[in-house]
Amino acid sequence: MTKTKPLLEARQVFKGFFGNPVLKGVDIALEPGRVHALLGENGAGKSTLINLLSGALQPDKGDIVVDGKPVSRFSPAAAREAGIAVVQQELSLAAELSIAENIGLGALPRRFGLIDYKALSASVAEVCERVGLTEPLDMPVGDLSLGRRQMVEIAKALFRKPRVLILDEPTSSLSAHEAGILAGLIRKLRDEGIALLYISHRLNEVQALCSHVTVLKDGVVTADQPLAGVDDEGLVRLMVGRDAGDLFPAWQDHPAGAELIHLKKFSAGTALDVDFQASAGEIIGIGGLVGQGQEDFLLGLYGAIPASAEKAEISGSHRPLKRVEAANQAGLAYVPADRKHEGLVLPHSIASNLLLPSLGNLVKHGLRDRAAERNLVADLAKRLTIKGDVTRPVQALSGGNQQKVALAKWLPLDPSVLLLNDPTRGVDIETKREIYLMLQSFAREGKLVILLSSDTPELVHLCDRVAVFREGRVVATLPRADISEEAIVGAAMGVSAKGAAA
Amino acid sequence: MNALKSAFRNPPLLTLILVILVWIVASLTLRGFGAFGHLRYLLELSAVIGIVAAGQTLVILMGGIDLSVGAVITVTAILLPLISPDIDPTGLVGIVLALGIASSIGFLNGVGAAYLRVPPIIMTLAMATFLQGMLVIVAGGSAVSVTNATVIWLGQARPFGIPAGVLLWVAVSIVVLLIIHRMPAGARFLALGANPLATELSGVSVKRNTLLLFTLSGFFAGLAGILILGMNRQGYVGIGDPYLLTSIAAVVLGGTSILGGRGTYAGTIPGAILLVTTTALITVVNASPGWRSIMFGSLILALLLISGREARR
Repeated sequence: MTKTKPLLEARQVFKGFFGNPVLKGVDIALEPGRVHALLGENGAGKSTLINLLSGALQPDKGDIVVDGKPVSRFSPAAAREAGIAVVQQELSLAAELSIAENIGLGALPRRFGLIDYKALSASVAEVCERVGLTEPLDMPVGDLSLGRRQMVEIAKALFRKPRVLILDEPTSSLSAHEAGILAGLIRKLRDEGIALLYISHRLNEVQALCSHVTVLKDGVVTADQPLAGVDDEGLVRLMVGRDAGDLFPAWQDHPAGAELIHLKKFSAGTALDVDFQASAGEIIGIGGLVGQGQEDFLLGLYGAIPASAEKAEISGSHRPLKRVEAANQAGLAYVPADRKHEGLVLPHSIASNLLLPSLGNLVKHGLRDRAAERNLVADLAKRLTIKGDVTRPVQALSGGNQQKVALAKWLPLDPSVLLLNDPTRGVDIETKREIYLMLQSFAREGKLVILLSSDTPELVHLCDRVAVFREGRVVATLPRADISEEAIVGAAMGVSAKGAAA
Repeated sequence: MNALKSAFRNPPLLTLILVILVWIVASLTLRGFGAFGHLRYLLELSAVIGIVAAGQTLVILMGGIDLSVGAVITVTAILLPLISPDIDPTGLVGIVLALGIASSIGFLNGVGAAYLRVPPIIMTLAMATFLQGMLVIVAGGSAVSVTNATVIWLGQARPFGIPAGVLLWVAVSIVVLLIIHRMPAGARFLALGANPLATELSGVSVKRNTLLLFTLSGFFAGLAGILILGMNRQGYVGIGDPYLLTSIAAVVLGGTSILGGRGTYAGTIPGAILLVTTTALITVVNASPGWRSIMFGSLILALLLISGREARR
């Protein structure tokens, strides 16, 4: 193997915020024609490192090196100049602009001072085809699902013809099909000699795509080595610094109790004619490709969008719930997938967020009972190991801790039905495990957990039954014995799998 | 240094400090400014703005805005003398009726904003225009004199040397501060202002709270209208107009985010006093009304740059 020169490097970079060191002397070298994995738990410093590599932040100490030469003030403009493109985890698209405009933004072709849409379409058509964007190019990005938007984001990065491409959790909102296209694309880019940095919490993807890995833990590199010969357990050990045992807790039987939900021909939004039954003490998985009506099903159950049904018994109510408050009173709680926009009031404190659903229950003489509130918040923070000052804004927390807040705020209401929409998306492994254990304990306490997940192994390891959605309908309901990744994916893709009958 | 820094991060405190500084400097340089009677008069004028701005603060905290407060003040000031029955010597019946009308107007604003999904800025502006047209028809452009005993007492009496209007403002302030900081409703308003979607999904009804807030805003505007009527002894078309911009400016001067989700009435209180003081200072300067308006506008802008600035993260 010939020694290739790295295109982009960080050498002994240090970076801290408000006196907290985040990166403590990190090295990384991205070589052409290689897919380099960057692993680490949330809070390990991955995002900060990416920001340094893309010029969004400057290191306190150490160098960013492009083509072997240290760059003194590495700005976003300098990074663009150097051919570095980043596909952000936080989508950076303008919802009102079209697909073509978003991709071409910054280099829009003009004619007589106006945007030349013909030239624009022509220039972005190729890149759209590469990523499998078949939607009309003049469609507003806001009309696309999260997964499709991610593909636009990728197309936008590719449009700049980068030499270095940094992908920050690109598949977290993609369907299996889209993820497959992306994987093919990454391999092709690699073969073209582009240096790729791939950040993901999904180890199977990392194993399939990457040949080299850098592992960050608490701001230092704990491994920088070829991936060959390292298995998943080894990777997890490197990330958490201990033997992870299993990511998933051992299966526990939790006997089903009284029936809590019984639906016949339940429709809400894109969910159509769903027949569904679930009882206390069960963990029911909701699977399928992204955007097949699963989310609308949960929202309809929760009374957040209008729903209709031939027969609907939801936690004692004999018709679909009409309002979220009614759902809360009936004992339902919902944890949204998009915690930043739907789950949390980001600028407000951790305590305010934790208290929001139960404010009305902590009242003395018509006024808020501060002592009771403090006790409750302290108790919740302790139970969920949310460390530090609870008066900090919740946006100061890492993704995993934010998710814990989004979940914990419901506990004081003691809900009997938990509707969880992809609760572990973008969450670090440690927190994932904590959430899994929490779900099991909910079931043991006799709560019904309905778990919508885009991470199929979760469904396999945690659920008593899995309902697989396709085009708004439940196409298969897999009992525990028949749940496997193959069966779920097969049903989701419309491939007939064993035991699939709804 | 640290105390200074924290003051800069605390807009209500900063606004209060600014008021005190302006009062001290003006008292030392302008003859008569620092006299008790003059300062008391400034507070009396501030009370009106402060009471209108109470409702405005609540609405803005939730991410809305109420552009109909000026019109509601005028409606109250003109209708109250007309609807106060002569057989009621206390005048309380008229006051209750007038406040009922003002609250109903607010309620209608809320219905438009919550159920018809008209943006608050449009809904309340349309309401203001509608009310103004109605007043021209009802009052026909002539001033209406008030004989209602309670209203006159409110506008003229000074128990223990303190204007009744200022006492009313103190009462309003206590209630509003309790709502915002000590009641579940206040926390819900703030959460709605910062992220309505997440708040709705947490079981807080956007519709019900919108309705409640606009009704409250109508109520407080009506209360201010009654106070102004008592102070002027006359109601006429346009009497409430100056209070629209000033109520919003007082809120923003106090550090409340015009986008909602962050702020407190504790800032609006010194904000209202600061506005009135500024106006008074401009009046002292011998200038034509046109120049006075220009100076007033520029000063509001300048004050906002100093104090009510959106805190940067």
